[in-house]
Amino acid sequence: MEHFRRLGDVPYPELAQSLKDGCLEMSLGPFSKRLKANNSQVTEFLQDAYRDVPVRTKLGDITDVAVTIKSPSWFRQYVRRQVVADPGFIVPAVPLPVRLSALSFEMGLNLAVALKCCRLVSFHAAVVGNEKGAIFISAHSGGGKSTLASALMVEGYRLFSDEFGLLDMSNSLLVPYPRPVSLKGDSINIVRDFTGADWLTPVLSDTPKGDIAYRRARPSDIEEADKKLSSKLIVFPVFTKGARPVAKELAKSEALMRLIPSSTNYHLLGQGGFEALTAMVAGARSYEIQYGNTDDSMKIVKDLAAGVGL
Amino acid sequence: MTKAWLKSIVRQSPLPSDPESLSDLVAFAEAHHVLGQMATVWQNEATGKLKDVFENAAIRTAFDHRMLAFEMGRIERALHGTGIAPVLLKGGAYVALELPASEGRRVADIDILVAEDDLEQTENRLKEAGWAFEETTDNEYDQAYYREFMHELPPLRHIRRRTVVDVHHRILPRTSRVLVKNDMLIDAAQHLKGRELRTFQPVDLFIHSSVHSFADGSFDTPARSLVELYFLFSGLSEADKSALAERSVTVGASMPVATALWALNEFFGEKVPGVGADSMIKPASALVRGAFRAKLENISGAYFAKLILYVRSHYLRMPIPQLALHLMRKAARQLVNAVKREDPLKSQ
Repeated sequence: MEHFRRLGDVPYPELAQSLKDGCLEMSLGPFSKRLKANNSQVTEFLQDAYRDVPVRTKLGDITDVAVTIKSPSWFRQYVRRQVVADPGFIVPAVPLPVRLSALSFEMGLNLAVALKCCRLVSFHAAVVGNEKGAIFISAHSGGGKSTLASALMVEGYRLFSDEFGLLDMSNSLLVPYPRPVSLKGDSINIVRDFTGADWLTPVLSDTPKGDIAYRRARPSDIEEADKKLSSKLIVFPVFTKGARPVAKELAKSEALMRLIPSSTNYHLLGQGGFEALTAMVAGARSYEIQYGNTDDSMKIVKDLAAGVGL
Repeated sequence: MTKAWLKSIVRQSPLPSDPESLSDLVAFAEAHHVLGQMATVWQNEATGKLKDVFENAAIRTAFDHRMLAFEMGRIERALHGTGIAPVLLKGGAYVALELPASEGRRVADIDILVAEDDLEQTENRLKEAGWAFEETTDNEYDQAYYREFMHELPPLRHIRRRTVVDVHHRILPRTSRVLVKNDMLIDAAQHLKGRELRTFQPVDLFIHSSVHSFADGSFDTPARSLVELYFLFSGLSEADKSALAERSVTVGASMPVATALWALNEFFGEKVPGVGADSMIKPASALVRGAFRAKLENISGAYFAKLILYVRSHYLRMPIPQLALHLMRKAARQLVNAVKREDPLKSQ
């Protein structure tokens, strides 16, 4: 059986052929994927954004999800070409123009994982951590969690994920899933300034979500993706342009009630999900933070992290 | 798909050893809603990623079963004091009776059957308890159509919990060419211990499932239907198995039952009574059986087979003139809706 290799070490023709045949197996954190695409933009995006992720060009095992990037109809292969992600079941995926294939891939993969995952409690959140524990950043899209997560990575924290907070029901530990960090609008420039342009993919402009670029996970994030951590700090960031920085500690009950609606699958999991979530909240301190710029949010989070011994 | 896949799903034959075939099989099982059943019968052998995938499926199914148990209680509560003990159909019955056919089975909505005389009261009580018709069917034509010609009310969705109850008063549409004796099935139904809920007796569970698969609709979930029939059949006692043919004649369901037995023999190699040239019950014609086989084996193609089954489903459902009138009304409504609807591109 073929061994896993760094995606960046696979020659382009081999990668493209494997994707075309629908037998590229990608293993990252708790989820493995089978990917299929006959699309040079997807191939190039994978080479860039997933450079250090382990893959096999021939399927060596079954996978958690299978995603195909394809044309939404026969007609759209030729005229105003479009692509759509197909995870093998019906999802509300919007067809996008071919030039946005990378976005289609990322959104499709997120949707496939979010809708299919029942083994782990899944939250819409960014998570980073160091050897002592994890910081769980819960937020709506646009709340600034990806920028904050990127900034904390520069401070030496490991990236767990910027889209999925994943909670193991057997031990209430957070599970790393270091996919590329999705940056939108102004945050692209902010993150480029403090990480260097080398870590960002080219900008996709005029997408339905505005400008988008991805910050690649570092080799160390990926190598340590099997190390789970308990959550020590839970933050709910609220970005208001020009606002003065404030942190307000939340009661555990309040934090719990805010986290439940941000989960994609809590309602399905019954007792196991409830017990894992209450244990996570019980073991951490929770804060709502308001801020007007990234520097402020960094300062607050670093102070709070120091306060819980991170 | 192949016969071998169906046998692997129910554990009649081993799982394919090469990863690509296994991956295709698992994807097929998931797309056709039988991954949960497969996970149940293979859970002790699975290792590695397969174990993860099966565990995931089991957690998902457990939710369905909890939902079902909860909603059964709410239906019972809604009908409390009326003396109506609805018959749980299909998945609801299998789960309540803890049959092998329930293990790993996904359940989306709850189907219940009440005597036609109890229909109005059942409907009113469920509405008082928070169930309501959905917007798409809450119009005069649909309501009249369901009530006059169909075997069930339009789906009732709970306004807060969003769960769906289908209230049946017959097994098949009133106009169906297959005339199942509803009263005989209801009369033989058995109470769940200590509850105001009933289920069909074991032989009738198999008969109803056969009717649902082979005398209603166009075999749209072939793998799921056959896996269900397989587990129902293997759960029957020997006495029940030998009583099956005669009972199916008595209740007017011999064609679908004979077809189901043929299918079990054809796809699982089950030795079943009532199959063969000398049997007392006759399956659907060779043409229709061929179409069932083709649709199962080539789910994305088999256009001719699908056409045959589609035409057959309507032929079985109602007389031609009535069907023509109904399809014309539906087409006209679609046209009106299409004109009414704004161009989605313009509104952006």
